[in-house]
Amino acid sequence: MAIDFQNYKTLIIPQGGNLRDIKAYEKQGGYKALKTVFDARESAWTRENVINEVKTAGLRGRGGAGFNTGLKWSFMPKPDGGKRYLAANGDESEPGTFKDRVIFEFNPHLFIEGAIIGAYSIQADAVYVYIRGEYRSWIRFMEQAVADAYKAGYLGKNILGSGINIDMYVHSGAGAYICGEESSLMESLEGKRGYPRVKPPFPAQRGLWGRPTTINNIESLANVPLILNMGAAKYAEMGAKTHPGPVLYGISGHVNRPGVYEFPTGMLITDLIYNVAGGIRNGKKLKALVPGGSSTPILRADQIEGVSMDADSLRTAGSMMGTAGMSILDEDTDMVDFLYRISHFYHHESCGQCTPCREGTGWLEKILKKIKNGDGEMRDLDLLLDLTTQMEGRTVCALADAAAWPVRHTITRFRDEFEARCRKSVFAIA
Amino acid sequence: MPEIIIDDKKFTYDTPGKVLPFILDHGMDLPFFCYHPSLSIPANCRQCLVEIGTPVFDRATNSFKTDENGEKVIQFFPKLMTACSQDMSDGMVVKTHVSSEKVRRAQKDTLEFILVNHPLDCPICDQAGECPLQIQTYKYGPEGSRFEYKKVHKPKRIQLGPRVVLDAERCINCTRCVRFTHEISKTYQLSIVSRGDKNYPSTANGKEFDDAYSLNTVDICPVGALTQADFRFKARVWEMNQTPSIDITNGKGTNVDLWVRDNLVLRLTPRHNPHVNDYWMPDSSREAYRLFNENRISRPEIKLDKELVKTSWNNAKETIAEIIEAHDTKEVLVLGSGYASVEENFVFNQFFTALGCGKASFVPHVVEGAGDGFLLTDDQAPNTKGCELLGFRAHTNRTFKNALAKATVVVVLAEDIVGRELANAEDLAGKTFVYFGTNNNTTSKDAQLVVPITCAAEHAASYVNVDGRIQRTFAAKETVYTSRATNLEMSTGRLDRFGTKFDNWRTDKNKVDCLPVWEFLSELAPRLNQTLSYETGKEVLTAVSSSVDAFAGVDYDKMDTEMGVVLSTPETEEKTA
Repeated sequence: MAIDFQNYKTLIIPQGGNLRDIKAYEKQGGYKALKTVFDARESAWTRENVINEVKTAGLRGRGGAGFNTGLKWSFMPKPDGGKRYLAANGDESEPGTFKDRVIFEFNPHLFIEGAIIGAYSIQADAVYVYIRGEYRSWIRFMEQAVADAYKAGYLGKNILGSGINIDMYVHSGAGAYICGEESSLMESLEGKRGYPRVKPPFPAQRGLWGRPTTINNIESLANVPLILNMGAAKYAEMGAKTHPGPVLYGISGHVNRPGVYEFPTGMLITDLIYNVAGGIRNGKKLKALVPGGSSTPILRADQIEGVSMDADSLRTAGSMMGTAGMSILDEDTDMVDFLYRISHFYHHESCGQCTPCREGTGWLEKILKKIKNGDGEMRDLDLLLDLTTQMEGRTVCALADAAAWPVRHTITRFRDEFEARCRKSVFAIA
Repeated sequence: MPEIIIDDKKFTYDTPGKVLPFILDHGMDLPFFCYHPSLSIPANCRQCLVEIGTPVFDRATNSFKTDENGEKVIQFFPKLMTACSQDMSDGMVVKTHVSSEKVRRAQKDTLEFILVNHPLDCPICDQAGECPLQIQTYKYGPEGSRFEYKKVHKPKRIQLGPRVVLDAERCINCTRCVRFTHEISKTYQLSIVSRGDKNYPSTANGKEFDDAYSLNTVDICPVGALTQADFRFKARVWEMNQTPSIDITNGKGTNVDLWVRDNLVLRLTPRHNPHVNDYWMPDSSREAYRLFNENRISRPEIKLDKELVKTSWNNAKETIAEIIEAHDTKEVLVLGSGYASVEENFVFNQFFTALGCGKASFVPHVVEGAGDGFLLTDDQAPNTKGCELLGFRAHTNRTFKNALAKATVVVVLAEDIVGRELANAEDLAGKTFVYFGTNNNTTSKDAQLVVPITCAAEHAASYVNVDGRIQRTFAAKETVYTSRATNLEMSTGRLDRFGTKFDNWRTDKNKVDCLPVWEFLSELAPRLNQTLSYETGKEVLTAVSSSVDAFAGVDYDKMDTEMGVVLSTPETEEKTA
């Protein structure tokens, strides 16, 4: 199914006007969804209806796992009189991912509107917006936008005369990748060391300060007003069937026009590379592609033929949608060097809580460094693969998996390149 | 009753809980590092991974799915689960290393990872011999390591606080110490710093780890990362023998173990007693080893020309007899002590009242505000309650001064009256002062006769704590007159059992020439035409329980099996009512 992307009209990042200005956003139809919901909350837009609408729209989380957002909201227990929270995850530290930044900069109110609707439907008292610490300017944009929304009466006490109170706080991260993991994000918000929590209990049962909490990606929440404005049925028709809606593709690497592009899901990867991003730079050939942030399994050029950017198609191809932060590597890329750099990142960012990840990431990096320096032996490759099995699925959070997958898949898919860099470790005796 | 199947064996349980403690409580083994029964569960060491499956519930038929043999269909979790964090549920199937190759492999893998950056310095590490990592590596670990690189270097020999030393390289980041300061001592002094394989526990910048309970972190550290400053490099674990005992430095009666080598108590560690101290003990109590070893009175001493000189036991007995004969027994002040055991106080009182002296009294040692509501008490003596229950009159400082002024002979059991400023040298001048004590102190200096008695580490005797619980000690050190070989209650260490007489680790120099109070007074009794014959503390306690109501029905066996016995005092009656 080809998508008529040339005539696609962007929704998350609309053209024209400075949308950081709340007046301009309202002029473009902003906060219309919020007003409709709050006006008709007794009749049409009860909390259940909002959740069902998002569920039927098929909106899947844009943070990497691709879980149905409406379904996630429905996991919140019945209110017991205590506080409930919505946390918006804008930590965005996965290498190759830089989409939320665009929302903060070019359409912050869309996200705020979505977050308020989300908070309304799960009956949250407050929204915490967790933004990675390196995004200094973007944190300022968000703080300004939140202040404007408060002034306009969309946030705070008695929103639009509805009697509902929702507060929003912008929180700056302190530079740890692990704080993008939802449970360590909560620890970090609570002022503690960013260690992931053991699940169960899940955040919906015991989240922030032990209270029910839902954590959504910034982009997921920004999709909510779009769903309510166009209707779930129409939204579900956009892009891939099982993974609908507009997506911000962050395209980086060896292309002529890297950047963030908004298109529906299900775009052909080849379309994205050659037509959207202007092809590989210097007319080189494509070698490989990391489709959704550095932890998603790498795909060889011959594996992406006919593959489109949605969960199902990518799973069949042997990878994942992730955050749709695509890294494109041309034929000159040294895969050993590339993998070493990724391993270095995960070693640096492992929080050190669980043994397999703490020790495994460092070990992977050390072996890869040895291979990169030309001192590697063939047996090191098998050891690397062995270590990835020792790490996968044996830790509290998924960082060990995220560190192990690139190693496993890069080696299995580019084994010849690695072998070419290694000395023999077994010699024939004749 | 719900059941759980572990390695093909069926068990039933009535109280819901986690899988790991259930396995351990039922005598099975499963390796772990970060789990501790009294702390929260972070599941971070990943050593207790097991295969876990649950029966499949069929909503349509509202029953469990069964296969053709009528057995419940078990669906296993795709990943290995940590037994420490997994709640038990009815019909759950658990496969440990006993029945699962996958689990055996995972245990090897995790241990290989832990050892990647753990220094292999067991030969010089204090923890060796009692190190869970060492033990579990031998039992479940891989044969070797495939790690060929330089290990991560971290700070070593860091004096975290006055009593705790950190070797960060040995740390395996189980966070037990951190959780202890957060959950038990509540000082929040420790936290993990840095990230990934560079992390280790530390205090905030410039802050000392001076928690009153800091040494418990050394006990619960599963490796040699945290060590006790004054025990470091003193002894290997297998050279010591371990004897259960009771803390005698305050009124809580914390259960401890004494670690003895060559008749020196080298360290005290807490012993688990859920009714008293759980797994913990205060740092100040660990200082008690000095009381047992240092400055001990050995052989009786008698004052000649203002100087105390050593004398014989016979001379000591004769001197006491002569003192008693030369004075009106009504003028003898008999002072018991909360620092001595129930048995000692009882015999002391029995002996002197039989001679016509007044009933023994004592001066409670309570320091207001010294307690913290946890394991430290205002009461500084281990047996204040015991003295009360024996019916001793409790003096205030003032009434004691008055009583002292009236007396011509003062017989004191183990109470440092001068050191506590209950009396000074002038008060004692002109009086005949006999001191029964364990350690040299300012009081013993002023005595005409000093009788050395055994301390809590040298005899079996019982103490009643502030909550009315009577608990007892065991003889841990030999005196000149006792022997490990003949006293079957004394524990023997590896060297005691397998050493030879040519071994030079064992000497006689640390044996103290002292006697239990009951033994000394029993020997003295015939000289004063008394009948008193006790050989052991056990016999004394039998006499106590048959003659004092509060102690009725109490004996050593009961104390041993029930981890101490709560005596029926007015306060404890009130609590149970």
